This record gives sequence, C-alpha cells and structure tokens, in this order.
Amino acid sequence: MIRFEQANVTYDGGVSAMKDLDLEIGDGEFVVIVGLSGAGKSTLIRAINGLVPLTSGKLDVNGHDVPNLTRKGRRELRSDVGMIFQGFNLVDRTTVLNNVLMGRLHQVPTWRTLIGKYPEEDIQIAARALQRVEILDRAYVRATNLSGGQRQRVGIARALAQEPSIILADEPVASLDPPTSHVVMKYLQQISRELGITTIVNLHFLDLATAYADRIIGLRSGELVFDGPGSACDAQVFEDIYGRSLTADDTMAKQAAL
Amino acid sequence: MTATATPTVTPTPEREQLQLPSKPKPSPFAIGVWALVIVFTIVSARRVGFSFTGVIEDLQRSNPVFDGLLNTRWGEMFSSRSRAAFLQTLQMAVLGTTGGVIVSLPLALWSTEVGNPYVVPRLILRSINNVIRSIPDLVWAGLFVLGTGIGALSGVLALFFFSIAVMVKLTADTLDGLDMGPVEAANAAGASHTQMLRTAIVPQILPAFSSYALYDLELNLRASAVLGLVGAGGIGTRLAFFQNRGQWDKLWGLVVMFFLVVFVVEYVSVRIRRRLV
Repeated sequence: MIRFEQANVTYDGGVSAMKDLDLEIGDGEFVVIVGLSGAGKSTLIRAINGLVPLTSGKLDVNGHDVPNLTRKGRRELRSDVGMIFQGFNLVDRTTVLNNVLMGRLHQVPTWRTLIGKYPEEDIQIAARALQRVEILDRAYVRATNLSGGQRQRVGIARALAQEPSIILADEPVASLDPPTSHVVMKYLQQISRELGITTIVNLHFLDLATAYADRIIGLRSGELVFDGPGSACDAQVFEDIYGRSLTADDTMAKQAAL
Repeated sequence: MTATATPTVTPTPEREQLQLPSKPKPSPFAIGVWALVIVFTIVSARRVGFSFTGVIEDLQRSNPVFDGLLNTRWGEMFSSRSRAAFLQTLQMAVLGTTGGVIVSLPLALWSTEVGNPYVVPRLILRSINNVIRSIPDLVWAGLFVLGTGIGALSGVLALFFFSIAVMVKLTADTLDGLDMGPVEAANAAGASHTQMLRTAIVPQILPAFSSYALYDLELNLRASAVLGLVGAGGIGTRLAFFQNRGQWDKLWGLVVMFFLVVFVVEYVSVRIRRRLV
C-alpha cells in the first residue's frame, strides 16, 4: 500500500513538482501516470522510493514512513521497490547477468560483491528473472551488444531480481520504437498480474496508457487532475490533463503511422 | 516530431550589407598570461646561461663520455652482474606497481564526490594524495634509503608511493566523467555504498584503470634506473658504479640494454592496452 497525504515537492529555484497530493495505491494495482513533461510524473515515482525527498507532507509505502527513514530504513524500502528507467541505466561494460545481479545487492554481503562471487541461489533468482523476460540466452553478453528493447528487458529483469512488491517504471518505453514498446508493456503487465506486484508506470503515450492500465492517474503542473479506470478516460479528461485536445502526437499508433 | 509546421523564415533583402557583431577584443587576462610566459622563458634562459654557441662549442670538444659511446662494450649487456641487476629492476617495478595499483583504486574512489559523500574525509584524503604526488620519486627513494637502508626494498617502497601518486590522479580524473545512470539504478536497488561502487562504478572505470596500470609499470621501470643512483637497488646501482669509475664504454652497454628492455615492455603493454580499451 502506497499512501500520499498532503505531499509536496518543491525543487531548488521554486519549481513545484508535487502540490498537496493525496493518493492511495493498493497492493497489486497496475497504475499508469500520464501528463506532460514537467507535470511531476518522475517526481511522483521517485518520491516513492525516496530518490526525491518530500518537501512536506506524509508518505507511507508498505509501512515505511518515507520522509523520516534512517539510512538503513531507506535501503530496506528500496530493496522492496524495483525501478526501471527510461535510459535503462545498465552498466554497459559488464554482462547482462552482472547487471541483473545488481537487483540482488540488498541480500548479498558486501565482501561477496567486492570479489564478484554471488551465491548460487542469487544467481538462480537472476536467471529466473531473465527467463521471465525471455532473454536468458544472452546472460553472458555485454550489455552494450544488445538492442534497445533487449536492454529494457534486462532493466525489467534487474527490477524483478529484487523480488520486490512494488515496481516503478519511469518512462520505460520513451527510448523505444512502437512495436518494442508494446512488448515491454506486455511484460510489465504480465509480471504485475502473475506475481501480484504493484506496478506504477510513467507514460506519455495515451493509447498505450489506456491499453494497459487498470487505473490512470493524470498529473498537470504537479497536481492530480484525473484518477480513474482507463475506460473513463475520454477526450474531456485528456483535455484536462494536457490543457488542449488530443492530437496525433499524443498517441503512439498514429505517430507510428506517420 | 512530425513535419507538419514549416518554420517561417523572414527573407533577407538582397545586396543588403549584413552587420556583423563587433569582434571581441582579446581578454587582458590572456594577454597577461602570454606576456608572462615569454618574459619567464627569456629570464630563465639568461639566468641559466643558455647559449647556442656554447652548446656547439662543447659538442666539438673531446669528451670521454662520447668517446665511450663510440666504443660501447656490448658484452656488458650480458655479464652475470648486469643480468642480475636487470632482473632486480624488473622485480622492483612489478612489485611497486602491483602494490601501488591495488591501493590506489580505493584511494581514488574515496577522494571523489561520487565515491565519498563525506566532505571532511574526502578533503583529508585529497590533501594526502597531493602530498604524495608533490614528492618526486628520487626523494622518496632517498627517504627510504635513510629509513630501511641501501637496497631494493627502499626502491620498491619508493615505486609504491610513486605509483599511488600517478594512479590516484589519473583515476580520479576518469571518475569525474562517469555515467551516473547505473549509480542511480544501484541505489534504487537498495545497494550499500560499497556495493554501489563495486557494481556501478568499478566496471565503468576498469578499462581505463588497467591501461593506467600498464602505463604506471612503464614509468616505474624507467624510474628504477635512476633510483639506484641514491642506493635504492636495481640497474641504477650498476650505472652509478660505472659512472663513478669513469667506465663510460661499459655504461653505454648497459644503457643500450636498458633501452631494449624498456622498448620491449612498452611494446607489450601497448598491445595489451589496445585490447583493453
């Protein structure tokens, strides 16, 4: 369970990326956050695992009081929250397996990390994660030698290897072409459903959002302007979120056709 | 994005003389720096007593050192004492390099912002690095000869510190231009600081680091020739011996041998480095 209460985030220079947010996300939900660039999508996602600190307000994630965590508490929280990034954030110079094993760091003793000898069971967990995104055969390939879609699947495997109860995905398909984006979104949806992992995804393509989300949250200038099922998302709602009516630029299908 | 909107360009009327912005004047600072460089060079040359005619005159005079070069004793390369001294030099270089390289990786990591979030320890570490770097290898050797006596041990210790000076500086500079994405990923996965360094940063700098280590080996090999002059073991001891006795023909034999050894080591390390980076 994730619960924001009157949460605010103001960056240096006075930019307000989250304004008096009240939001509750239940276990196992598949939520997509939509909004323009700068609407506060990344801030919302990064607040959940404490990468962005709240300026004021309350945030509870699975019983962790996020604004008041100790260093150890923050690591405990993060070990339970997997994250997927727009730019994949893989270490290009090392193997796919080593990248996925990064998801096991919270379990692995530091001395083992230093010498690079991971316990067999952790390697097994990493292998299962790679299997789930169907890329196990590339385990010993360097991350540089993969395509964009494959790299994001490694990113998903890394998050899965944490065996998390929450997965945060920050624009996971923004660097990918449309067919690959659908593949990545399907993996995320499947993982969420089969493993019951709460999944929160930032997207800026609306058709992708309505196609996969159980619930859509619309943000505009740091404020919540829509919260409901994908089916309730009509043209009027999108105008609220985007401040204008829909154009081809906002949907991936039409953009791909161009 | 889509190419729906064509940018409107205001057409420039033909034959109109375009007004260029005025040329920026060279900054007074740059002029000052150049003037200083020129003045310093001239003053230094005068003070040292440098003159081209002097150089030419000296070269024409007969000189035992150059006479020795013409009668180089090639046999000196292979005498058992010389071979032993070369071997010692190589061993000193390898030992000093290995030790220095191992120690300098954590030192470099802890002296940068990404590797060490604490300001005060970072500043202390940086100052220590600066002190180590400001002491030349010969002075290190002199210090250790005083401390541990004449011999190879003092040479190895000198090379160890010399390696730290070189490696920490180069590695720390590499750490500044790092991709921070994997660092964010490791932190988001709940990694401890040390785990983050090991998994997100070390793989990124490892190719550059190993190439620096090979370069450091070359430097140490060359440095070890000089260390013997202050009694820190290796081939330099033998060079100093011939120098003191004025046996320039034998000394040149050693120099040729040394040149060959350095050449081979450089050749090998360049080949290895190319495969690493």
